[in-house]
Amino acid sequence: MTLRFERNRREFLRAAGGLAAVAALPVSLAACGGSSGGGGGKTLRLVGVADQQKALDELTKLYTQAKFSTSYAPTDQVQTSLRTQLGAGNAPDVHVVYPGNGSAMSMAQIAQAGLLADLSGQSWTQSIPANFKSAFQLQGKTFIYSAGSSVIGAIYNKKVFADAKVEPPKTWSELLQVCDKLKKAGKIPIALGAQTPWVTQLISYALVPSTVYAKNPQFDSQMQAGSTSFAQSGWRDAFNMYLQLQQRGFFNDNPNGTTYEQQTSMVATGKAAMAVQVSAVLPDFRKAATNADDLAMFPFPGADTAANVWIPAGVVVGLGVSARSRNADAAKAFIEFLGRPENINRWAEAVACVPLKRDANSKIDPVLNPFLPFIDDNKAVPFMDQAWPNAEVQPTHFAVVQELLGGKTTVDKALAKMDETYRKKS
Amino acid sequence: MTLTSRRPAGTATARPAARARRAGFLTPPWWFVAPALLVYAAIVLYPSVSGIVYAFTDWSGIGDKSFNGLANFQHLLSDDQARSALLHTLLLTVTIVIVQNGVGLLLALGVNARIKSRTVLRVVFFAPVVVSPVMIAFLWKYVYNPDPKAGINGILGMLGLSDLRQDWLGNPSLVVWSIAGMVVWQYAGYSMVIFLAGLEGIPAELREAAMIDGAGRFQQFRYVTWPLLAPSLTINVMLSTIGGLKLFDQVYAATGGGPGYSSETLSTVLYKQAFVFGKYGYSTAIALVLALFVAAVSLVQIYYLRGREVGV
Repeated sequence: MTLRFERNRREFLRAAGGLAAVAALPVSLAACGGSSGGGGGKTLRLVGVADQQKALDELTKLYTQAKFSTSYAPTDQVQTSLRTQLGAGNAPDVHVVYPGNGSAMSMAQIAQAGLLADLSGQSWTQSIPANFKSAFQLQGKTFIYSAGSSVIGAIYNKKVFADAKVEPPKTWSELLQVCDKLKKAGKIPIALGAQTPWVTQLISYALVPSTVYAKNPQFDSQMQAGSTSFAQSGWRDAFNMYLQLQQRGFFNDNPNGTTYEQQTSMVATGKAAMAVQVSAVLPDFRKAATNADDLAMFPFPGADTAANVWIPAGVVVGLGVSARSRNADAAKAFIEFLGRPENINRWAEAVACVPLKRDANSKIDPVLNPFLPFIDDNKAVPFMDQAWPNAEVQPTHFAVVQELLGGKTTVDKALAKMDETYRKKS
Repeated sequence: MTLTSRRPAGTATARPAARARRAGFLTPPWWFVAPALLVYAAIVLYPSVSGIVYAFTDWSGIGDKSFNGLANFQHLLSDDQARSALLHTLLLTVTIVIVQNGVGLLLALGVNARIKSRTVLRVVFFAPVVVSPVMIAFLWKYVYNPDPKAGINGILGMLGLSDLRQDWLGNPSLVVWSIAGMVVWQYAGYSMVIFLAGLEGIPAELREAAMIDGAGRFQQFRYVTWPLLAPSLTINVMLSTIGGLKLFDQVYAATGGGPGYSSETLSTVLYKQAFVFGKYGYSTAIALVLALFVAAVSLVQIYYLRGREVGV
């Protein structure tokens, strides 16, 4: 009796183990999408990121030459699933592409593999500003459509600034003084949600245009040639300035344990005065605020002279046409439609970015006005990762900033790690 | 009363004729399993085995691949990030195996007692197991909120233990232990259920006999319950070891491997190598090594743990 009982029990336990293994299978990806487009013609399969949905919902409805089967998902899911489709040879006709280089789904990485159709002949490509060409082009050919650029700067709470009787600073030393006053007024001067990896990069990116590119506009090409390094450049100053903000107590406590959502809430509710962020997330901050008009932006100054302050302005995530698409001509025609000035304006308005080429009909979010003179004066540089040669440098940057904030590394070691990763073969 | 080692001499051959008769009558023909095997081979075995080839290539996930011999495995040996991920994985696994099974055993002993609310308690303790690990990680991000008034820090403050407040997920020295706590919280109920199945299979007369022989509660547990729980322990230790070694969801959702690299596990590294860096060849090599490592550890565990299982 006992022997049989033991056998049964063991079998049950084995079965339980088997069930557990099945239950541990990965969860499926979540995405949303649908069909749209009122016109006839072919049905184009389009995969985008969630940030593009608002613009594309509007524009696919306006386009009458094709129907669309659309799907949108967050960035990391798109990177996973879309790259797999590209590898398997069944990519959608039109799909999201990240400008420049530096990520697994970036224009340069996919175009090098021959998977993007050449868009060079389209008329809108003539309006690509000279300093943004590297984000759109590889070896002189254009492979990505994008409607414009977003900027990185400080999103600040005007009410908190007014209560502390401070104005947006124009120089680094003014910024330190403003932060001091805000701190004395009982507010967190700068909210930092560094637990969310991509947030870690924004303060470096806000400072580096002034500490690196204002002094040496050729920095990217020198890096590619191997004649300079992060360690030998103004990146060192940027990291030291970043840490100076922490050492002076200008960040919230425990930035490495604070998320992007908490950072957003701190500024939106007035607990913190500002956060260094990309303009594309303004809608999130506005949603979290009691009064959306309390929020505005200013260029985060990385130099002690206002004339030497430069800003980061990165080309926003765009679209490419699959080189292996059976509907490549129809897909290119849709991109040509997106490139019309009125449609560039529509897209730019939907994602709160600065359109590729401004005209009388461009509706630019008024909070971005302080950044426009920098763009017009060529004092704007693309986001740094868009010029990095492989997809590892950016995550390394995230990691070393978290380590710097956590006191686990030094500026020397952080820069050495970034240099080592930069030199890796892509 | 004696507890003998499993499969005592003679047991295996005691009733061969009866077993053969029963087997002939009760065992279904082997081809009954063929459809399931075919599906398993098509969607699990074939992709897994064919994927091994990529471990010896430099494939980026798109475009052509070329064979690079053992270069990926050589790189793995010299990769600081992979080495530190291995260390974190082992730390997490050992902690989870010990604490999860310890807590699971205590819970099982507790809800096996004749208390009124035991059914409700069983459901309550098991409930976290049925929630997605990703959801659990998101919930625990709130529990681990570094704000002094939120989550665990808030409770510590209310208890007058403000000095113990921590940046649970942001402190590089603490993050691995915080993740282990989250995993134990979720899966202790699972270990409990397996121990409970073991406990309910122990005949009451054995404990009664031990009690009559003068054994106290601890001695009953030590000399009767614990040896007879050996099969449950084998399953629990093996499942929690495998779960610990391939830990991904909770880590990725809670910290993404950070801050810095301080909570990277082998699974998060292999995910990033493939899907973030586009190094599918190297990622497959890590996956292959991880699979072989899990298999080796599991076999060693089975060998030792089965050896201590006893029959009645």
